[in-house]
Amino acid sequence: MDELFEISEDVSDRACVVTVAGEVDVASAPTLRSRLEAAIDRGTPLVVVDLLSVTFIDSTGLGVLIGASKRVDNSGGTMHLVVTEPRILKLFEITGLMDLFSIVPSVEQAVGP
Amino acid sequence: MTTSDRPDARDGASRSGASGDVVELSIPVRADLVVLARLTAATVASRSSFDVEEIEDLRLAVDELCVSLVGEGSEGRLALRFVRGDEDIEVSCTYHPDSGQDGAATDVTSDGLSARILDALVDEHGMDGGDGRQRIWLRKRRARSQT
Repeated sequence: MDELFEISEDVSDRACVVTVAGEVDVASAPTLRSRLEAAIDRGTPLVVVDLLSVTFIDSTGLGVLIGASKRVDNSGGTMHLVVTEPRILKLFEITGLMDLFSIVPSVEQAVGP
Repeated sequence: MTTSDRPDARDGASRSGASGDVVELSIPVRADLVVLARLTAATVASRSSFDVEEIEDLRLAVDELCVSLVGEGSEGRLALRFVRGDEDIEVSCTYHPDSGQDGAATDVTSDGLSARILDALVDEHGMDGGDGRQRIWLRKRRARSQT
């Protein structure tokens, strides 16, 4: 059932953009964790996690994002999440995570000029 | 919010009377099969005239019932029971460990991200157990039935 989840990276000198699509759940969260850790460990100043094509995320997915945020903090970098889907935003709100993450509406805004 | 001794929640069959009916799903404790619980939740909610947002709420809430029981080396089966009432759906998830496995489960309904999600999305939820089995349950009413 891996077809429900896809992940890819686009790396430049300034930023690593990790694009996630599909369902982030207890099955796909380990893959997301390892790919995010690898992206962060590249050492780019900015890590962008594009969640625009994510259709479902649960507490295990949120836990991975929390762990990634801590890893970025420890490395001195910055991480932005790209989210516009109201249901995904609602999940960040009800779990009290809106203040933990920098959430922006587009990859362009996350990466900057 | 969290209650563990509601008789109707302990035994969904007790409220499967004239208008209620029961859907049961038994799956191995495997992370890649939790999607089947979500699909069943969405289908049952849809057939119970829940609106789109309520269907998505129930889909996520049922996922949260399951996640505590998979991914930590658990071996056995998850028995999900969906009881449709006139105005609500009750869902329970019971872990049936293989012989030699620990039947204990993390109480996701009382702490952490899962608890916050369940608090926000369903009307009641809780955890109970016995005989080496643990059962997590929730109840969600249709919004239209609350007015």
